[in-house]
Amino acid sequence: MNRWASTEEFQAFLDDGGIVEADDDMSDEYRAEVFKFIELHANSELMGGLTERDWIPRSPGLRRKMGVLAKTQDEIGHAHLLYMVAADLGVKTRRQMLEDLFAGRSRFHNVFHYAAVTWGDQVAIAYLVDAAALISQQAVFKNCSYGPYRRILRRIIAEEGFHMRHGEEMLLTIAEGTTIQHDLFQAALDRWWLPALQLFGPDSKPDDELMRFRIKSEPNEVLRDRWVQKYAPLLTGYGFTIPDPDLRHDPDTGRWEIGPIDWSHLKATLANAGPDSARRIGNAARHWSDTEWVRDALDAVAKEAA
Amino acid sequence: MNVAVDLVDAVRAAVAEVDDPELPGVSIVDLGLLEALSVDADGAVSIGLIPTFSGCPALSLITELVRAAAAGVEGVRSVNITFLSAPAWSVERISERAREQLATRLTVAVERDGRAECPRCGTETVERSMFGPTRCRAIHRCPGCGEAIEVMR
Repeated sequence: MNRWASTEEFQAFLDDGGIVEADDDMSDEYRAEVFKFIELHANSELMGGLTERDWIPRSPGLRRKMGVLAKTQDEIGHAHLLYMVAADLGVKTRRQMLEDLFAGRSRFHNVFHYAAVTWGDQVAIAYLVDAAALISQQAVFKNCSYGPYRRILRRIIAEEGFHMRHGEEMLLTIAEGTTIQHDLFQAALDRWWLPALQLFGPDSKPDDELMRFRIKSEPNEVLRDRWVQKYAPLLTGYGFTIPDPDLRHDPDTGRWEIGPIDWSHLKATLANAGPDSARRIGNAARHWSDTEWVRDALDAVAKEAA
Repeated sequence: MNVAVDLVDAVRAAVAEVDDPELPGVSIVDLGLLEALSVDADGAVSIGLIPTFSGCPALSLITELVRAAAAGVEGVRSVNITFLSAPAWSVERISERAREQLATRLTVAVERDGRAECPRCGTETVERSMFGPTRCRAIHRCPGCGEAIEVMR
């Protein structure tokens, strides 16, 4: 177990690239920030897994159904691991985190506050949102100071990379398809471009604590731009229209410049007041109460064994 | 027929370069997925693979990667890949090298005789959920160092 004499010494350890473990004597501020970050990630994996689950019976074809099933299991498995690591920080128990989530008292990523209306939305999520999440996670993994989280991220990234290939394949199928398929995805893109863009959050502040604690290693605007530079040309190349009237390709720099972002949508989701927040939280809460008997049974078995 | 034997070895080596799509740095051959490999006199390759679990969503991608690897070997004219339903895959098929790679690079343990050791401290782990992120992995906890671990089963 590591101990530091002062917060300055702890910060120097972080600045030197040190890795903090669960039983280390970290500062309260660090513990609170790292917990908040992992709780948000865990909640998002769970809410994302439940979103995928909705599509298991509605997938077009057996192959896609297998893909959705596997993705659901992946996300729920990630949530499980992340809740363990978050609970180890001693801020909230796993049950508290889940109860807070289902009561609308905690946060999950903005993209899970919108409805996935058609299969086109599923493709947009797999192609654009998963890619945005992967870019964020890669940037965290690169230099994250919290050891237990970093080791789980390594595996999550490997699996998300696999989801991304699925997303690319799904997009290719729909992009090379009929006019109906093309229109289906265009309508979904109109709905999902902005939420995906806002997944990265607003520009980072210069004194961002997440950067100071080496939880994040790159500012939000850099990650957002990385995503825009990759996906704007791909989508336009496939013949789709990005719903941003100010989007332009600068022929001199070769860069894609986006218009101003309306952050009111992100703010609404952060307050759990997005377009589909209430239904999603209600749905998750119902899953939780429907499975109460399983937890009771497991508790009873554990009590008997003790 | 030394030529054919050499070609079998060359194809095997090429296939061994294919990593598991969800476990980067770990070869599918080391994971025990390759069961049969033959090459006939005309350079037609037949490969029999065993899925870790039926319904594994990575199978089509693995097929693609194996096909590309085998087709890239000089002298190969065609590649036929089938998934075999027997023998069933089990963790005993995972090589020592893959066990080492899984432990050190990905903090993933592999069951042996129904038990698993923490890749970080060697303590015997305790199962927390038989359902991990994939069907071939469960979630364990190490009572020694507290690590949350995925265990291949």
